[in-house]
Amino acid sequence: MSADTAGAALPTPRAHLTSDRTRAALTLQGRFLAGARDFLVSEGFTELLPPTIGPVTDPGARGAKQVDIDYYGHRYKLMTSGILYKQASLLSFDKIFHVAPNVRLEPLETAVTHRHLVEFHQLDVEIAGASREDAMDVAERLTKHCVEHVLSTAQEQLEILARETEQLKQVCAAPYGRKRHSEAVAELRATGYDQAENTEIEWEGEEIISAAAPHPFFITDYPKGSRGFYDKENTEDPGVLRNFDLIFPGGFGEMMSGSEREADYRNLMMRIRETGENPAKYEWYLTLAREGIPSSAGFGLGVERFTRFLGGLDAVWQASGYPKLPGEPRP
Amino acid sequence: MTDLQAPGFAEEHVRARARHGAGSAFPDREGYGSTLFGGAAATLPPPTDPIDRARLVPPVFVPLRLERLFDLGREPLSGDVDLTTDVGGLRSTLPVYISAFGSTAAASDLGLGVAQQAGRLGIPMVIGENIVPVSGYGRMEQEKQSSLLGRITQYIDAAPPDLGGVVVQQSTEDANAEVWNLVYSDPAAQPLLTTGRLAFELKVGQGAKPGVGGMTLVPRARAAELSTQYDIMDLYGPASESVLRCSSPGTFSEEILRQQIRLMRNNYPRCRVWVKLPPGRDVHHAAAVAWAAGADSVTVDGAEGGTGWAPSAFLDQVGLPLAECLDRVTPEENCLLVSGRVWEGARAVKCLALGARAVGLGRAALIATDEDPKLGLENFLECLALEMRLLISALGKYRVSDLSAEDVWMPSAR
Repeated sequence: MSADTAGAALPTPRAHLTSDRTRAALTLQGRFLAGARDFLVSEGFTELLPPTIGPVTDPGARGAKQVDIDYYGHRYKLMTSGILYKQASLLSFDKIFHVAPNVRLEPLETAVTHRHLVEFHQLDVEIAGASREDAMDVAERLTKHCVEHVLSTAQEQLEILARETEQLKQVCAAPYGRKRHSEAVAELRATGYDQAENTEIEWEGEEIISAAAPHPFFITDYPKGSRGFYDKENTEDPGVLRNFDLIFPGGFGEMMSGSEREADYRNLMMRIRETGENPAKYEWYLTLAREGIPSSAGFGLGVERFTRFLGGLDAVWQASGYPKLPGEPRP
Repeated sequence: MTDLQAPGFAEEHVRARARHGAGSAFPDREGYGSTLFGGAAATLPPPTDPIDRARLVPPVFVPLRLERLFDLGREPLSGDVDLTTDVGGLRSTLPVYISAFGSTAAASDLGLGVAQQAGRLGIPMVIGENIVPVSGYGRMEQEKQSSLLGRITQYIDAAPPDLGGVVVQQSTEDANAEVWNLVYSDPAAQPLLTTGRLAFELKVGQGAKPGVGGMTLVPRARAAELSTQYDIMDLYGPASESVLRCSSPGTFSEEILRQQIRLMRNNYPRCRVWVKLPPGRDVHHAAAVAWAAGADSVTVDGAEGGTGWAPSAFLDQVGLPLAECLDRVTPEENCLLVSGRVWEGARAVKCLALGARAVGLGRAALIATDEDPKLGLENFLECLALEMRLLISALGKYRVSDLSAEDVWMPSAR
């Protein structure tokens, strides 16, 4: 991976769309999504179509600006993630998933991480009554299934992309590792990287621990203050969230974030204030929560990021037909 | 010059300094040679404020001057006082910053002139809350550039590359407009981000109206639109042109404040984190929580401060005065910034000696800029800097950080 593949010179739309590599990457993406749907439907999940606009969206994205929509004179937002709708949809179904488009005007510094797109998709999964461990179990089996599915159905595309398949096979070879956020911070610090204790793992730090890992692993128990208000706080370990990220090896980094969700009205109100948000704008969601929403756990898997891993691509923009990098006007 | 007024504030003195610069630190030179000076109050009304009543008390024996004498190989002078200061993680030429003015009409007209001069002088400038929700941001091609964006770009264009910085406030209602996300991801702010000169200030409250949020009068025609975000009070009858727009003060607990600061550090790792507290009775507790959570700076606005519109009861009778805030808050190694009726060097140096790292200019900066939009603030600060140098060197000190409580005599303590 080099800085010049990070986006300074994206190909023209024609060059990108007619490239064999793009075609192979997008085919891989299609196969992975087909495999994911097979897996989830066989486990009793219902696929729903996600809303793309609403009066509020997920505020949990680090430093990213939401896109405002003039909705008949009301300020609406493009979804940065569908988390609030995922929780609400459990009023209809116990196990749901979306393949959801998201838009985040990311800080310009993320244009060079190889991992950020302004417009991207998430495979969103939510399970009523589930614990974090239940969600992590589904996440592990789902991603392994998708890797196997791609290995067995997309050999030609993997060859075009010159993908080293040993790394893919390694994903399926062993259980995913697990470490707490505090352990990941300690490991990073031991390498000399200056990672703060109470914040998200920084982009560079994440790449370092991802590069050093032989297998995928979960990082659990992020500190409050690093995530959105909907990640449930551990009642027995205040200040620590019942959440997780899934990190893939080889420097590919974070593929997924998930958690047990907060569903209690008073706790949600507290957490909304702790994240500096104005409760008034969450009126529809808080009304549902006040009347009762199911407890749940779930996650969102980055579709382009996972495609990047499957194809061994240099940068995530190669997994999109119409990539939009932070700050760059593109079709 | 507009019809801007600041009753109860030393407006004429500030205007004189804005016109004439450093010479205004002295009495009118027309009287030189024919007037006998000395004693008190030729220039000021009798002080009632404890900080104004306090006196700076130079010692006879001056060990730090002796050190400076060794360094320089000659007698130290007032010009040898180094006023450069780390103000909440931003490098400033003076222990001074420009306070937020909010979205009042007076402030938005003068904001660009303030930004230009503060930038040129390399002192940090805070941009107030409620600007974006009320006035918009304005970066699309057809839009008029907003007050916030305009002030940021004026500041960047004028400032030396390694000095000063811009501090953007966000209040509870601003969260709807995501002011911080907007600025953090905006190309126009990149020169500040890449040089570590962007800070965000969490506004917990301010001195002029502790316990209530920002208040402005807005045109009646905008009431319906703004009522989706703010409380609108119709105080002057249906025939009047304006209505009162009120922000909420926001609900804070110890945990809410701590987590909001941590979230700022998490989401904006390249920014400094400032917290502005009202002069509440637990201000010392709140400041300690903020510093422990990682705030680069805590600003305390004494109840005598503020540029904004507020009920008279609040202006006159609510909140701790600055002297009491300074007494209660113990910054130790942390950065404490204070504001509240600061316009001349003695009050500023007393605040620094009583624990503040720098002092904020609110009304003084607005009036000086109103007096002369191009040079008024610069002239005014030239005078303030001269006074500070003279006073600090008189105390036998040559660095701002050497000032301490021993330099101040409080008559009330006797």
